[in-house]
Order: sequence, then C-alpha cells, then structure tokens
Amino acid sequence: MFVLQLAVAGIAIGSVYALIALGIVLIYKCSGVVNFAQGGYAMLGAFITYGLTSVGLPSVIALVLAIAVMGGLGALTQILVLRPMLKAPVVAVMMATLGILITFRAVCLLIWGPDQIGFPALFPIGAIELSGIFMTYNYIAAFLLSAILCAGFLAFYHYTPIGLMQRCTADNTRAALAVGIHVSNQVTIAWTASAMLAGLGGALLASLNGLSLGLSNIGLVAFPVIVLGGMTSLPGAVVAGLVLGILQAVTDGVLTPAIERFLREHTDIYSVGTLQQVIPYALLVLVLLVRPQGIFGTKESERV
Amino acid sequence: MSLRQIIILITVALAVMVVLPGLGRYGAYIVYVVAIASIGALALNLLIGYCGQISFCHGGLLGVGAYAAGNIGNAGQDMVVALVGAGIVTAFVSVMIGLPALRLRGLYFAISTLAAQFILEYLFRLIEPWTHGVSGLLIQPAPFFGLDLSNDRGYAAIAVGLLVMSLIAVSRLLRTDLGRRFILIRDSEIVARGMGVNVARTKLWAFAISGFLAGMSGGLLAFTSRIAAPEAFEIALSVDYVAMIIVGGLGSLPGAVIGAGFVVLLPEVAQRIGETFGAATQTAALREMVFGLLIILFLIHEPRGLNSLASRAVRRLRRTSGPLSNNKRSSASDLEMTQARL
Repeated sequence: MFVLQLAVAGIAIGSVYALIALGIVLIYKCSGVVNFAQGGYAMLGAFITYGLTSVGLPSVIALVLAIAVMGGLGALTQILVLRPMLKAPVVAVMMATLGILITFRAVCLLIWGPDQIGFPALFPIGAIELSGIFMTYNYIAAFLLSAILCAGFLAFYHYTPIGLMQRCTADNTRAALAVGIHVSNQVTIAWTASAMLAGLGGALLASLNGLSLGLSNIGLVAFPVIVLGGMTSLPGAVVAGLVLGILQAVTDGVLTPAIERFLREHTDIYSVGTLQQVIPYALLVLVLLVRPQGIFGTKESERV
Repeated sequence: MSLRQIIILITVALAVMVVLPGLGRYGAYIVYVVAIASIGALALNLLIGYCGQISFCHGGLLGVGAYAAGNIGNAGQDMVVALVGAGIVTAFVSVMIGLPALRLRGLYFAISTLAAQFILEYLFRLIEPWTHGVSGLLIQPAPFFGLDLSNDRGYAAIAVGLLVMSLIAVSRLLRTDLGRRFILIRDSEIVARGMGVNVARTKLWAFAISGFLAGMSGGLLAFTSRIAAPEAFEIALSVDYVAMIIVGGLGSLPGAVIGAGFVVLLPEVAQRIGETFGAATQTAALREMVFGLLIILFLIHEPRGLNSLASRAVRRLRRTSGPLSNNKRSSASDLEMTQARL
C-alpha cells in the first residue's frame, strides 16, 4: 500500500517530467539542437505565474498568461539566438543554450531573489481517498493536465497540417525545403511549443514542491528521461518520464531507508544522502551501455 | 608549436615571474587563478577540441584532483608528490568516465558525462572519510620541492610554470602519432577505424591525459584555496570550462589560455563594477547576467572563438604591411579553422 502511495506521487511528478522532456525532444528532432535551457524556461514560467498572481490576478488566468508569455519568449530566443547560429559547431550551439539558462537564472535571481517562495495554490486544497491511497487535488490536477497536454500535443503532431510539416522537417530537412516548407519557421514553432510546455510544467512542479531557482535543475533531470526514451521518440519521452518519476519516489520512500538500515547494521555509515537525485543518472549510464540508442530510439547509422 | 614559439612562451613566463613581486597580492592572485584555470581548460580542449569527445563533467574531475591532492598533502607529502598523485588518480577516474565513450557517440556520450558529473557530486558529499562531506576538506599548506612557497606569489610562480610545461607537453603530444590519431577520431571515427587506428585505446589515452592535467589543475586549486568543498565542483563549473574553450577557440592551445582568462576575469570585473552599485544578491545576479549574455552574443558573432578572431586580425595586419607573407599564413589558419570544426 505504501509503495502504491509513493507510485501515485511518482506518476504525478513523472508526468510533469514527460511534459518538459517532450519540449526537448521536439526541438532536437526538428533542428538537431539540444536545448539545455529547458529547465530555465520551466523556472521562468513558474516565476512569471507567481509574479502575475502577486499582482492580483486569479491563479488560473496568471498561468494561462504566463504560458503565452513563455511561448513568445521561446520564439524570440530561437529567432535572436539560434537562427544566427545555423552554421556554428554543435558544441557552440549547446553552449549558447547554456548561456540562455544562465541568463534566465540571473534574471530570476535579480527580480525574485534566491529564497524559496510559497507558490500560490493553482488548485483547491484537499484530497480524495481511494481504498486507502490518498491523492491530493494538486497531484491529480498535475497528472491530468500533463496527460491531457501530452495526448493533445501528440495528436497535434500527428493529425494537423502544422504537425505534418513538423514531422517532415524532423525527418529530412533538405526534402522539407524542397517541397516548400519554411524550415526556419518550423523550428521557431517547435521552440514556441517547447517553451510553452516547459512553462506549464514549471508552474505545475512549483505548485507541488514550491518555487526557487533550483527549479531550473529540472531541465537536467529531463536528460535521463529523453535518453532513456530515445532522443527522437515522443511517446518514449512520456513513458520514460513516468518510469523515472515512480523510480525516484520509490527510491526516496523505500530503497534509501532500506539501504541505510542495512549500512547502519553492518558499517558505520549512517546516510546515503539524496540517492533519489542520482538514481536517474545511474540508470541512464546503465541503459546507455546496454542499448546506446535508448529504449525506444532508432539506431542512427553514421555516414562518412 | 615550433621551437621559436616555445622560446617565446618561456620568455613570457619568465617575464611574468620577474614582474610578479611588483604585482602585489591581488595581481599575483589573478595570475595564478587564470593560470590554474588555463591548465584545466587545456585539459578539456584536448578532449573536446582535439579528440571530439564532448564532456560536461570537467568540474567533477577537477574536484577529484582537489580531494586527491588535499589528502596526499595532508598526509605530509610534498606538493609535487600531491599534484602528480592527484593527476594519476584523476586520470584513472577520467578513463572510467571515458569507458562509455567506446560505445556511445557525440550527444549520447555528452549526456553520459552529465550523468558522471552528478554521480561525482553525490560521491563528494557521500564519501566522508576522504572528502569530509558538505563541510569540505581543509588542506594544510605543503612545501614545494621542500621550499615554502605557500603565498600568493609562490602559487603564481608554480601555476605559471606548470601551465608552460603543460602547453609545451600538449603541443608536442599533438605532433606525435597519438596526437594525430586524436584529431583523426574527432574528424571521423569511421575513417580512423578504416585506417587501422585502435579507436578504443586512443580515446582512453585522450581521457587519461586530459584527466591527468585536470587533476593537477584541481590539485593546485585545492592548495591555493586551502579547502575542497563539494559546492565548488558542481555542474556550473563544468559549464564554465566548456565556455572557456569555446570562447577561446576549440582545438586551439592559445585559445585555452585566452578563454580561461576571459571566463575568470569577466566575473571579477563585473564584481568590481557591481560592488559600487548595490547589495550582494544584485551583484551576483548582474555578474551572471553579464556572463550569460556575453556568452550568447559572443557565440553568435564568433562561434570559432577569440583565437580565430585574433589570427584574423593578425592576417589583416600582415595583408596591409606585406602581401608576400600573407599566403603561407592564411593557409595555415584555414587549416586551423577546419580543425576547429567538430
């Protein structure tokens, strides 16, 4: 029962991971750029939501407005930073996205300071009990919203004309150009969508765990998620997000206490620290060693 | 690096040593901080710029070097022993981290080094007998070849000396068979394999050599700051080092030094300017913002780094002064440009 309780929390957090990871996969598929700034967008989305509510807006309107602002910001960064760097080496582009992350963190530090902030309740406070398992509205709402958005986004990607152009760009940039798709605009759309997903994910995470600069680290946790899912698979990112969320919750609640009990009995070590924070990375290395293309990824062949 | 360049380098280093006593404590501090960072950047540039293995765990490796040197130094050994020991330990850890590179390529490997960084951070906090956990390991000053050099000027002299030695060693290395194989692997692993290069072994050599230099740099960092604490070797430091070699120029030896100077001095300057304006939080935020924005602007306008900017300026100067010397020079830097591409 305890494990199930943990799994509920894990699924809620994991679905938010999936939301944030989707954005990274989307940009990577369409332009080959790895967006290290995704955590920065999540953090900024949460801070803007907080800022708007502290001005007096109702929290739901603040959230919608913040997501719109994030979309604009995503498009803007793509146009201002990524477009001029089309021919730059891969590492330089990675570094530029890290520069965006550093700048976002500095902006938030300047305006909102380094302390943990109580995030306004996005959803009513309370919980329902289902055969012994408690689920707070917060967790249910975070899960439902993420699930609906993930599903909606995948549907958009597969069944609309823009989705078709996105897939075309991702599949073969030259062919996309040849049939008259404006590839740069498609990449801008990908960045817009990605920033909006991240903004929502950030606000949801802040409503679960509180808000501070540390929220930007979520962008780095998203990397095990997308690699496990296979860099180029959108459904893979969703599945891997859920798996990692559950794994972290179970590690925190069951595995860490068990290991510490064992160590206390047999050695003089008392604590294994924040094991749940490294477990995704340990798993990541293991999976990469066994299956370098991720669980759902397709193997890329290399040409000379 | 030709003999002439080596002589120039040594002359510059000697000049720095001669001026050192006149620099004052702050000046000496700046010199050794930049020199230590340059050694670290050189190590990373060898791995990323010459062998093409993108790594985001350099900060963690510097940490390994710092803890290793600190422990050896605290056991009563000479600083030289501690630095070499730190180099060997870090080389070993670096090879461990490099093992996945035998199966992974490019981006996937970069992400596996990200994982290594977080695992190292976790271990720094966990293995208390060696690292003293969150509170950090205090490091006693150690003699250098039996001499007491534990002051700012002494550290500056040691750091500059080690930097010159590393620069010469790496430039020599790049002219050997092994160095050529690094560059071949960066340019195309398949071609390298086709030409009979043992790709796995060559990559591990790159990790070992880069790790050795990183360990020495981390060790010096530990002795100069007298403490090794986990929060000093977090992912942010790895990002700083990647920034250094990209700003300086990938696959360029002077670039490592230029980039290290840029990334180390920029916050120092921003701090000075910020202190005149306001509180500590604002200063830190402004410093980070200037750093982030400058990196972005810089990468947009000069993605090949400051070194290519410098060599282009030199070329332009030569073109106006004498057209004859122009030809040879430009073909040489074109070669550098293609080498800089990953």
